[in-house]
Amino acid sequence: MLKEKILIIIILFLIQLSLGSSGSVEPDEFLENNEQELRARNISKHIRCMVCQNQSIDDSDSPLAKDLRVLIRNKIKKGKNDDEIYKFLSDRYGDFILLKPPLKFSTLALWFLPFIFLGVGVFFIFIHNKKFNNF
Amino acid sequence: MRNYLFKIPFIFFAIILLIFFYLLIIERNPSEIPSALLNKKIQKFESHSLLYDKKFVSDEEFADEVILVNFFATWCKPCRDEHVFIKKFSNVDGLKVIGINYKDNSKKAIKWLKKLGNPYSNIAIDAKGKIAIDWGVYGIPETFIINSEGIIKYRHVGPITKKTYKRISLLIEEIK
Repeated sequence: MLKEKILIIIILFLIQLSLGSSGSVEPDEFLENNEQELRARNISKHIRCMVCQNQSIDDSDSPLAKDLRVLIRNKIKKGKNDDEIYKFLSDRYGDFILLKPPLKFSTLALWFLPFIFLGVGVFFIFIHNKKFNNF
Repeated sequence: MRNYLFKIPFIFFAIILLIFFYLLIIERNPSEIPSALLNKKIQKFESHSLLYDKKFVSDEEFADEVILVNFFATWCKPCRDEHVFIKKFSNVDGLKVIGINYKDNSKKAIKWLKKLGNPYSNIAIDAKGKIAIDWGVYGIPETFIINSEGIIKYRHVGPITKKTYKRISLLIEEIK
């Protein structure tokens, strides 16, 4: 009985996870053009809410997030491309507003240190095993 | 030799721990993000003036002077807390204090200033928060220091306290 209950809870949890977040976009914000709306949603998912800081503006209910969602939609309507919109925002709020940090000289360590650590780790395991086999 | 080599990962790990520990104990606010606009020219804008019956044109207001720009609103409690320090800044020689009234009710704002005193030489109305976005503002109150060439030299997020008042005052003297 208890097992079944636990199983049901796990299943419900997984269903909830798979549904994902529907975002905080309010109905009055939607663009009529579906393709444009999808682009706006996609950009919003990659822009950090500066108020909450660990949420995208697509997920956030803060007034600033709403302003930025509307701003992104207005820029799309005016024919700006995605890169121009990302640049507009990072020019004002810095790279911090991009949830995915850009690859540039100052972020090289951020992007490649994990691989270097992995390499070093594999190297030491390799040597250790070799030494162990020699015994 | 080999045993020596094996100590390297542990030393590495210890160094990383020390770095993390250091970042934990030093006095810093990780949620305060440095402005991307530091050392850049201010964005031009036009809006209505809250104090005068005319337009607020940034080109006319920001010229040849050291300027303190303060984003505020009557609905923002910390803005009220820092108001006393903004008033102190308005008495500093050679410093112009400009306000930007963020998403506020103009009538309430005028009443608020009458009650608490008006430290601003002019105030731009930012009804929809567009000026704020252009300035990279994310949490009012925010305060900027602009040098006489119209370049942003400093940005402070949150209310000005005694401590930040002293720091900003020193900075203004340096810039002047």
